Amino acid sequence: MITGEFRNMPAETFLLDMERRTGYHFYYNKTDIDSIRVDFSVNNEPWRKTLGLAFSNTGLVFSEDGEHHVFISKHIVINTELAEELFDDAAKKAKKTSTKTNSITNTDTSQAENKATTANLENKLYTIGEKPKGALAPGRVTLAGYLHDSKTGEPIIGASVRIEGSKTGVISDQYGYYSITLPKGRSIINIQSLGIRDTRRQVMVYTEGKMNMDLQPMVIPLKNVIVSSERTSLIRGMQMGVQKIDIKAIKQVPVVFGEVDILRVVMTMPGVKTVGEASTGLNVRGGAADQNLILFNDATIFNPSHFFGLFSAFNPEVVKDLQLYKSGIPAKYGGRLSSVLEVNSREGNKKNITGSAGIGLLTSRINIEGPLAKDKSSFIFGARTTYANWLLDLLPSEYKNSRAAFNDINFNITHEINKKNSIYFTGYMSNDRFNLNNDTSYHYGNRNVSLKWKHVFNNKWYTVAATGIDSYNYDISSERNPATAYKLAFDINQYYLKTHVNYFASAKHTFEFGMNNLLYKLHPGKYTPMDNRSLIKADEMQAEQALETAFYLSDKYSISPNFSLEGAVRYSIYNYLGAQTVNNYAAGIPKTETNILGTSQYNSGQIVKTYQAPEIRATARYVINENLSLKAGYNTQRQFIHVLSNTAAIAPTDIWKLSDPNIKPQYGDQISLGIYHNMKSNTIETSLEFYYKRMQDYLDYKSGASLVLNHHIETDVLATKGKAYGIEFLIKKTTGKFNGWLSYTYSRTLLQMNDSTQGTVVNKGVYYPANFDKPHDVTFVGNIRVSHRFSLSVNATYSTGRPITLPIGRFFYAGAERTLYSDRNQYRIPDYFRTDFSMNIDGNHKVHQVFHNSFTIGVYNLTGRKNPYSVYYTTEAGVVNGYKLSIFGTIIPYINYNIRF
Amino acid sequence: MKKIWVLTLLLLAFACREKYVPQLNEPVTGYLVVEGFINSGTGPTAITLTRSTKLSSQAAIVKETKATVRVESKTNTNNFILTETSTGVYTYPQLLLNATDQYRLYVKTTNGKEYVSDFSVVRRTPDIDSVSWRVENGGVQIYANTHDAQAKTKYYQFKYDETWEFTSKYYTNLKIYNDRNGDAHHVGYRDSSNPAYALNLYRCWKTNIPTNILINTTEKLTQDVVSLYPLTYIEPASWKLGILYSINLKEYAISQEGFRFLDELKKNTEQLGSIFDAQPSGNNGNMHCLTNPDEPVIGFIEVSEEKQKRIFISNTQLPGWNYNMFCTDEVAVPNIPDSIKGSIGIPTRVAKAGISGLDFVFFGPALCVDCTLRGVSTKPTFWP
Repeated sequence: MITGEFRNMPAETFLLDMERRTGYHFYYNKTDIDSIRVDFSVNNEPWRKTLGLAFSNTGLVFSEDGEHHVFISKHIVINTELAEELFDDAAKKAKKTSTKTNSITNTDTSQAENKATTANLENKLYTIGEKPKGALAPGRVTLAGYLHDSKTGEPIIGASVRIEGSKTGVISDQYGYYSITLPKGRSIINIQSLGIRDTRRQVMVYTEGKMNMDLQPMVIPLKNVIVSSERTSLIRGMQMGVQKIDIKAIKQVPVVFGEVDILRVVMTMPGVKTVGEASTGLNVRGGAADQNLILFNDATIFNPSHFFGLFSAFNPEVVKDLQLYKSGIPAKYGGRLSSVLEVNSREGNKKNITGSAGIGLLTSRINIEGPLAKDKSSFIFGARTTYANWLLDLLPSEYKNSRAAFNDINFNITHEINKKNSIYFTGYMSNDRFNLNNDTSYHYGNRNVSLKWKHVFNNKWYTVAATGIDSYNYDISSERNPATAYKLAFDINQYYLKTHVNYFASAKHTFEFGMNNLLYKLHPGKYTPMDNRSLIKADEMQAEQALETAFYLSDKYSISPNFSLEGAVRYSIYNYLGAQTVNNYAAGIPKTETNILGTSQYNSGQIVKTYQAPEIRATARYVINENLSLKAGYNTQRQFIHVLSNTAAIAPTDIWKLSDPNIKPQYGDQISLGIYHNMKSNTIETSLEFYYKRMQDYLDYKSGASLVLNHHIETDVLATKGKAYGIEFLIKKTTGKFNGWLSYTYSRTLLQMNDSTQGTVVNKGVYYPANFDKPHDVTFVGNIRVSHRFSLSVNATYSTGRPITLPIGRFFYAGAERTLYSDRNQYRIPDYFRTDFSMNIDGNHKVHQVFHNSFTIGVYNLTGRKNPYSVYYTTEAGVVNGYKLSIFGTIIPYINYNIRF
Repeated sequence: MKKIWVLTLLLLAFACREKYVPQLNEPVTGYLVVEGFINSGTGPTAITLTRSTKLSSQAAIVKETKATVRVESKTNTNNFILTETSTGVYTYPQLLLNATDQYRLYVKTTNGKEYVSDFSVVRRTPDIDSVSWRVENGGVQIYANTHDAQAKTKYYQFKYDETWEFTSKYYTNLKIYNDRNGDAHHVGYRDSSNPAYALNLYRCWKTNIPTNILINTTEKLTQDVVSLYPLTYIEPASWKLGILYSINLKEYAISQEGFRFLDELKKNTEQLGSIFDAQPSGNNGNMHCLTNPDEPVIGFIEVSEEKQKRIFISNTQLPGWNYNMFCTDEVAVPNIPDSIKGSIGIPTRVAKAGISGLDFVFFGPALCVDCTLRGVSTKPTFWP
């Protein structure tokens, strides 16, 4: 209570007097008050009223925060309790006023401005909820909201949000959404993520509330600000067997022809292999290439490659990051045995129209993005096309007339309807055309459309619903000979509806549950004449359809800050649907054409066969200390769709087949154990993971299997058992002038077919190595940042050669020497070793220039080593010769130019 | 659709292929290999018995001799015993088969092991409709055409041999005469009484039998018609069409299983080396060892018939066919022992005749003078 006479007193003197009397601190701008004198008297009034009286008719206003700070301003009240984005605005206005009155602060560099804002935000105290009367009751409340990039408005995914001084921490999800439980009262929230400045927010929490945060991107990654959220999440997170790479790291890795290729970078991670350079098929922890669920946003990409597997079909300009789950696959994902590869696209810039373009040896690409409604919705469009024909011109004259082309197009829209509802649209299309010598034409492509709606009920509940169509098709045609002019077409379509609910029940429990519905529709082959003179007999395989439904529930349970469990059950029901004619075979004897007992007819929509079973996903994490944790996991998976391919590399013309009464779904389970250790104040991360995996009903093929247009495919396949085990070691340095990773994997994948009721056993019924069994694998990826505009990257990889089948003898038949084969995969091709090198040269880094240029110059296969893709014997001019085939058996230099606007 | 293996070529711009001999454990296989067919048509039946060998073995084909080989009928009414007419080749001059019966091959080797094939129906081969050709990309592509009006054949195997006539670049009526010591002494006419006389070194014929397996099926066609099945491609300006070329096509009707066997053999031995190779695998055919059922036997024996058709293509049918053998010019040398000894090649014709004989003679490269280095000088009987 204030009592006193203040007569013609300078305002400043008055305020100093008030500070003494009240113990509050007063903040003001001298120029605002230096001409003001106060002239009044009060008798036992509260200080707030006193201040009001003193400032009447002066235009001065004031506000206070919870910490005895009083802010005095002219006309505009500095409201300390406003939501952040409003504050942001207010701060700008305040800044404008201040620059008007105080020319000294007019430094005009964005750097300084940013710093000023950041400092403001970090030091500001955010009050959540109403201050209760009386003492604050102890307890915990939930704070939730979105993290956005302050420059582009894009969500910040995978940021670590942690309460300082406690072990509570969460990771923002793919929408940039976080929800954290914290004690009532005052806390400091630390936010760290790849590509943003580390920052913190001071909060005073009274009740549950929302807090959206705009975070500053790092314009230039400096040593002291590169902080990766994975660093802490590696130790603290529940995930194991997960690799996350952002596009920046991907772009640094040198690749063939300089075509930034996300799948090639995935292959440098431990536990990921491929049969050879011509294949983008991933073999994750001993799984086959068709056992990976490749998701682009929510859409399943059936063939993620261009040019018969040489390049991946993802436009790097649109990709934000990717995450590969090798174990600990979240319950919301299912339907594949070995891994889930999430490729996340960027959201368009919500503030300005921007774009980029690039020219490489084989492709050109462009992307444009910008707001549709400022801060509310944005779009991003990306397209790539090739001019690879020059490659074909290098071929022998016989193939001169061959032509190849591919392209892909991405289009995404993000729209925030209001604070609680957002929608996301993703469109993707890829096309490949290849014409072999004006004769046989190949065409294949993906088409994906998805629409996703996210609704936040409150801080504890949110739901995501997604629907869409994924399809892949190919056709091969030849019109050269009118009598046999044909077209062979194949397509696979899937329609899905996924609903997912997240419930942050308490600090200890987070529940996720949902339902996935997936309807498959396949046309496994349609063979038609292309010319009316053609004698081709039209042959159409019956369309296949199936419905896959899965329900799941998972609980993340923090027993103590150091010990957490995550358990999930996914129950999947697979219905193979009519209309269908199914061949019936006698039980217990090999399925052959002669053993067909008859057929069963099913009408449209009728259930032909149901497979159902629960899948279990469990992970446990124990933090031993700040830098060391142990994790263990067990998961089971089921797969209802198979790729029929008896070639070593997966081909674009492979056929997908649904499980049916004669071909069982594949089943796999995996147990894994991991040790995670961070060193040198979290700048070096190490992990060591072990796994053991079993597979059942994995398809292998009988000798001489015919897979195309086969109306009784079950007679040509074999259900095998498999086992895979291995150790993966990764050491990664994400920060500093020198960064990169070194990985080593020891792994084995063995298959067995000893069931004589299926036919002749393979390799006498003993375990034999799978095509991609490459026990040792060492990969090094390093990047040295020489200056902010120049960096060098090196990539070196060594692996054991893959297994192959080689002849055991020769014989003379049909006019020539022929090779004699026996057991499968008993030999290996020579070991693989390759080194690549690249230089990245950026133009200047002035933030406000219109165009930013960069060059990448590199060399693929620096040592020119002729790494064999395969070793084979072939009969030529009547004589057997052994050969070694290398795909890129030479030094391949490249240059790439990019421009950003 | 089987052509996807060709796509490797697309990559050959950067790819490279080199000879390679991996370290192999080579078991002694020595499996019996049975080749041939039971001839239901006119002509002999010939069955060849060989043994598989080590891959690295440099030895010639190992023939299986002194075996008992029979063609057996299912009704056991008429069996034929084949006789070994040359090492490892067992023949029967003319079988008389009952069209409604089924036949198989029986083999008993000298080590007492017995082998049989599966029974085969008596299959006849339709006539070859034509062997056609057309100019493609400057070369000549040759095709087989056939059909079966009854639509019973469906699976075809083709074989062919090709023969062409060619001449040397340089004509010769001279030869080198030696002295008493056997050293070259001088060049004279081959027949001094008839200077025009030439040995048959100028005009020759070359025959080539390809070693690749040629099979075709019409199972995916509405009619049993083989139209424009590509046999061979003659490169532009090839010597094969320098004068006259002939191709003799042989056709066999085979079973579906026989087709699969050959197709697999082709894939295993001729179509490897691409990116999308199917893994090679064991492929043994329809022969079985009765004595030891686990012993692999290689070969597919069934009843078939051989049909043939021969065509000729003349250089005159191909305007602008620029075959030209590259030869260095003939060199004139003095007809004295030292010069003759130092000359490379074969004397061709007289450069300058003097009073006492031939003063200067021409020499040409052997390959350009002596056609027997590249073919045979005996005219084939079928040559017009």
